[in-house]
Amino acid sequence: MSEDSSISEETNTPTTSVSQDTSTAETTAITTSAFNIHPETPSSSSSFNTHLAIQSLSSILTTVSPSLLSQDQDPAFYLLHNPDISSQVSSLLRLPDSGAGDNNLCRWFYDTFQSSEPQLQLVVLRFLPVIAGLYLSRVALKKPLAGFEAVLLAIYAHETTSRAGQAVTVNVPDLSYPSIYHESRRPAKDNDAADLNLAVISPSLEPHGTVRSTRRARIVGVALELYYSKISLMPVGSKIDFCEFCKVWSGQEGHELQDDEDNVEFQDNQGNADKESVITEGRIALPWELLQPVSRILGHCLLGPTRDEELIGSASAACRSLYSRSLHDINPHAILATRSLLRLSKMALDPKNNVDHTEIPMSDVISL
Amino acid sequence: MLCACSGEQFKFDEPPQSPESLATRDFSASGLSSRTTGDWESKLEDFQVDEAESTLKEALSLNYEEARALLGRLEYQRGNFDAALQVFQGIDIKGLAPKMINAIVERIQYRKPRSKGEIVPPSAMSMHSVSLLVEAILLKAKSLEELSQYREAAKECGIILDILESALPNGIPEGIGEDCKLEEMFHKALELLPALWTNAGLLDEAIASYRRVLIRPWNLNPQKLAGVQKELASILLYSAVEATLPPQLQLWGLASPQSNIEEAILLLLVLMSKVASGEIKWDGEIMDHLTYALSIVGQFELLAEHVEQALPGIYNRAERWYLLALCYTAAGQNEAALNLLKKVSGCSESKNKPHIPSFLLGAKLCSQDPMHAHEGISFARKVLDLADNHNQHFIGQVHKFLGVCHGNAARISLSDSERVLLHRESLNSLNNAALNRKEDPEVMYSLGLENMLQRNLGVAFENAIVCTEMMAGNSVKGWKLLALVVSAEQRFKDAQTVVEFALDEAGRIDQFELLRLKAILQIAQEQPKQAIETYRILLSLIQAQRDNQAKNPEQSHIFKSEVLAERNLELAAWQDLAHIYTKIGSWNDAKICVDKAKFMEFHSPRSWHVTGMLFEAQSLHKEALVSFSIALSVEPDYVPSIVATAEVLMKLGTQSFSIARSFLMHALRLDPTNHEAWLNLGLISKMEGSLKQAAEFFQAAHELQLSAPIQSFL
Repeated sequence: MSEDSSISEETNTPTTSVSQDTSTAETTAITTSAFNIHPETPSSSSSFNTHLAIQSLSSILTTVSPSLLSQDQDPAFYLLHNPDISSQVSSLLRLPDSGAGDNNLCRWFYDTFQSSEPQLQLVVLRFLPVIAGLYLSRVALKKPLAGFEAVLLAIYAHETTSRAGQAVTVNVPDLSYPSIYHESRRPAKDNDAADLNLAVISPSLEPHGTVRSTRRARIVGVALELYYSKISLMPVGSKIDFCEFCKVWSGQEGHELQDDEDNVEFQDNQGNADKESVITEGRIALPWELLQPVSRILGHCLLGPTRDEELIGSASAACRSLYSRSLHDINPHAILATRSLLRLSKMALDPKNNVDHTEIPMSDVISL
Repeated sequence: MLCACSGEQFKFDEPPQSPESLATRDFSASGLSSRTTGDWESKLEDFQVDEAESTLKEALSLNYEEARALLGRLEYQRGNFDAALQVFQGIDIKGLAPKMINAIVERIQYRKPRSKGEIVPPSAMSMHSVSLLVEAILLKAKSLEELSQYREAAKECGIILDILESALPNGIPEGIGEDCKLEEMFHKALELLPALWTNAGLLDEAIASYRRVLIRPWNLNPQKLAGVQKELASILLYSAVEATLPPQLQLWGLASPQSNIEEAILLLLVLMSKVASGEIKWDGEIMDHLTYALSIVGQFELLAEHVEQALPGIYNRAERWYLLALCYTAAGQNEAALNLLKKVSGCSESKNKPHIPSFLLGAKLCSQDPMHAHEGISFARKVLDLADNHNQHFIGQVHKFLGVCHGNAARISLSDSERVLLHRESLNSLNNAALNRKEDPEVMYSLGLENMLQRNLGVAFENAIVCTEMMAGNSVKGWKLLALVVSAEQRFKDAQTVVEFALDEAGRIDQFELLRLKAILQIAQEQPKQAIETYRILLSLIQAQRDNQAKNPEQSHIFKSEVLAERNLELAAWQDLAHIYTKIGSWNDAKICVDKAKFMEFHSPRSWHVTGMLFEAQSLHKEALVSFSIALSVEPDYVPSIVATAEVLMKLGTQSFSIARSFLMHALRLDPTNHEAWLNLGLISKMEGSLKQAAEFFQAAHELQLSAPIQSFL
């Protein structure tokens, strides 16, 4: 993140936190004042921030030893990848009242993200699947959620500032113009904006100081967009957490697709109606503004470069559940996206499609 | 040199004598290994390499590198990758590269004019040598790959590309490799390099090398080239590593892709056009990648084009229609989708297995448009008729659509008895759906709406409460329904509270709609000043939004639906304002608002209706009648104007009572719950002296008015 955006980030936060709950605002004040006391070079203030974050985390968790601070390795990297820390943080997050405004861990996430330290922000994003997952599933249960909301709003505000609120668009290619990959009879037109066919990947962002219930899906969706943009740096465990929550969100087991071998077309239970199970607990509304970033993340988990078996298994289960849900909702966007992902993942797992074309033909004969 | 006369084929007169002679064109690897099994099997000592090398050199007059290349290949083929690597490492590729480049360049330069047998410059390396060496590098890379040293392997493999790229900056001319394996080896290297970088975990390198392969014509066969393009598209789509094109490749101005997903879509479109022209065969994977990518960017019409272009036989008919219908629905073209779905349920498909997903989608689309109510019923019935335990879990959904369609059908029905029947069917189906799909707030919403429209306000209120709970504020729909139900109970203040609450939670477009609802509630509470203020806020918000959109003209087509919704709201606001001003008697203000509304939409029946009301308020009966008849000529079934016409006619004297009555009866046929029509019928009866009948009409009017929601929902 650039220096500019981190400054505007600072100016942006007070509204966010004040409207959320006062306790978070206090802690922000503390961190910012810490900034002012140590006007050091960026690198040392960065390690200072990291140490501060670890110190305050160690007061929340039981097993983070302060000895961590003296270790040679990058402490932020350690925070991101240490399985003990992850499992402890995850289990703390999953406690029933963890989303409250005065929750220590939520406050830690909020402060850590606000430190504007890219490495530390990654640590916060690593737990976004659990935070967003629990948050959306708990909305209907009327549990206190101000803590989760503060973290999500901080991420949303970060994204809003770094994009200056602008929509993310792509120019849908037009084959009648030549490109680096193909020729065309029509000459390359020079910059003619009128000819661009713009498509929106992510609409423009309005600043939000609180979570309005109708904007909830969008705010979480934008946070997931940021997660997606950093997903190649995320440990596998975080992605698996995400896939697990997709299943919970869908409220669908996705069994009915399992026995089907030759295609993933519309499929029914194999003559057993009881097998169909809708799990209402944790099931949420899945509008496209949420499903679109979800599909992008799932696409990465299923077909991306990390060929981790557990992840792929978990991602395809999530995809089956979401496909099944989209069939039930008769939601064309979601049907088309999840259906193609499922088909692609099946093809990727099919050994027939994994022939190595670069293999040198084996022969006992050497020809010169 | 192995073949000083490059281009000439080696001919050995003697047939292979024994493995020892090695003076053969082809010799048996198994023969060689039989000689060496045992001590040579797993470990290769240096002196043994030297020994074998010298044997090869002597027998074939090979040079040092060529001998190593051959030997390495033997080791590689036997699976001794360590040993192969050791052998290959003895070849000084860096030193040889310039010679190899020269050899290729000269070969290309002299290729055409030179006839067979002409003498090559003696300094040049032969093409056979070159291809042997290239093969050696390739095998070295593959050995490293086998030993999981991907990064090293990729670097080695990259050398091959470096050499060929500097020798042939414009790609491979056709037919260079007619008599040597150089091209074949090079093609293998092209495919291997990106895979190695991928395995090494360096995705930006992998993407860069895919591009290296693709931007020059390397004479890859079309199927292989397509394979590489597909792989690049896939890595661009799923790697989540943003790797924008380097500036030197952005030669095409704005047409050159600016992001991973643009580049991926470009590649996939190129591939689809190859499929369409028959250059490569159909590949479902390309289609699925494209479907995914275009879904993410929301280009469903483009996707539909490609589904349509697929050659017959790839999809069966029903499947293709269904896919197209999904695309058109996602693109917001419900009518087009519905036409396709009717084909799926049509007689041409009667012999095939019924396509349930199509029927479901059809029922859903029909439930959204009252005009298609009866088609929706038939779609839903088809699914119910086919229902066995194979699709039990869709039953709840089907009942929901069935209920909604029955309700819509009741509203357009002209026969009383049919209407009663349809109303009952509707509630039955919706209640059934509510039992089956407890998790779906939409069911509760439809049930509440239907109950409200049938004026079962108590039940509707309960449904609306449950619905808002279930929606947990995801959509303002639930609150809007609740506000209307409460307003129908004539609790305008409570309704306004609900609206205010929803306003706090709503997004922009929803806010606009809620503001209008709030203003209407204020009118109902006889607070015209507050209502006018609310409209003022609404209109200024719409204007601000419009200014905002004007700043990004290139994105205008994206906001098309939003702009349309805003425009409709603005029109409605002017019409509402005209109505208020007419009511409070400020004719001039009313006139201004009417003119604004007509300026925006000349052919809106409501604009003309409001004009008529203004004339009528000024007792200009003839002008009012003309305005109402214009409204009715635009939309013959516009109920408010029908009733208003009757009212004017009634004022014109007893001779027109019969015409007025027939107008009112017509209005009631279209909308049986219109209390104003009932009221006027009562007035006519009263004036004609049939007091008992009049009392009945007044009774009906009164009851209906007490349960009328503040705003029509349809």
